[in-house]
Amino acid sequence: MRTMVLIVTLVATLAASAALAGETKTYGKGVAGADTVKVSDLLANPEAWVGKTIRVQGKAVGVCEHRGCWVNLASDVEGQTVRVKVKDGEIVFPPAMQGDMVIAEGVWTANQLDMETTKKVCEHQAKEKGETFDPNSVTSCMTLYQLSGTGAVATKN
Amino acid sequence: MRDFRKVCWTLHREIGFLVVGLTIVYAISGIAVNHAHHWDANYARVSEPVRIEPTGAGPTAEVEPLVLERLGLERAQVKTTWRASPEVLQVFLEGGGYEVNLVTGDGVRKGFRPRPLLFDLNFMHLNTGKGPWTVIADVYAGLLVVLALTGPLLVRGRKGLAGRGGVLMGVGIVLPVVYAIVMRFTR
Repeated sequence: MRTMVLIVTLVATLAASAALAGETKTYGKGVAGADTVKVSDLLANPEAWVGKTIRVQGKAVGVCEHRGCWVNLASDVEGQTVRVKVKDGEIVFPPAMQGDMVIAEGVWTANQLDMETTKKVCEHQAKEKGETFDPNSVTSCMTLYQLSGTGAVATKN
Repeated sequence: MRDFRKVCWTLHREIGFLVVGLTIVYAISGIAVNHAHHWDANYARVSEPVRIEPTGAGPTAEVEPLVLERLGLERAQVKTTWRASPEVLQVFLEGGGYEVNLVTGDGVRKGFRPRPLLFDLNFMHLNTGKGPWTVIADVYAGLLVVLALTGPLLVRGRKGLAGRGGVLMGVGIVLPVVYAIVMRFTR
């Protein structure tokens, strides 16, 4: 019986420490030594950063509602945002992260979309903004830039 | 052989008791996250329209206090705000926020709260916290393997491996194998 009590105590301690570990505001691998790039600089010349490991910082102003697989960070310029996309399930950004100051790290990537996908993305963006969408208004294919995130650290404001 | 079967009985019985709680956690959460494309398994969300007197699309420093006042919010409640576009101001609070069109005054209040119990079950199942829970989950998986291997050896005769038990075990093995083969050649 004494052994059983010991086992139960050990398991409970392990479970409690696991729960405490879950309270951390570090996501994935966190952030390491990469240089921080201002979002406005990044978006001014996005092609120049493709393939590079960088760090961006900004307020979290949108989080994926389905799987928490991306977070949008606000730029230092009003209206601009940059998306940090992580692998589904590997890192999960909670909705409570919105409004927090976030530093995220990863590889800056460019995805060249075809016309059909470009129209779908534009339609989705228009729907989110509550605007009407005219498919004929899309005349060129879009390149989608985003940070393929490996980790992030969130601090409450 | 008799001693070996006795060991299997003991292992199966003791481990069986031990994993009841964890099995329920993983089973309930498994159903919930299997349907993640139908619903948000972690959070209950609300979204309702709001309307305030329009402030106009002036500088953020000027319109932000007006928006907060017209929404009935104290500054201390607000985590932060964000001018998403010239016409739209977002206000972030604990547990939700507002998105207001400054020109029309129309907006939406969004709220979320973790689903009672289910949020915690999913947190464990998906190992969101990583760390020590990884060890617990790995040990649990190992114990399930022990249960699977000892189970078929518990009963002899027509209800055991040589009879109905063997048929049921075969069905349980064939099901994932056939699915894997079909998926491999059709995807």
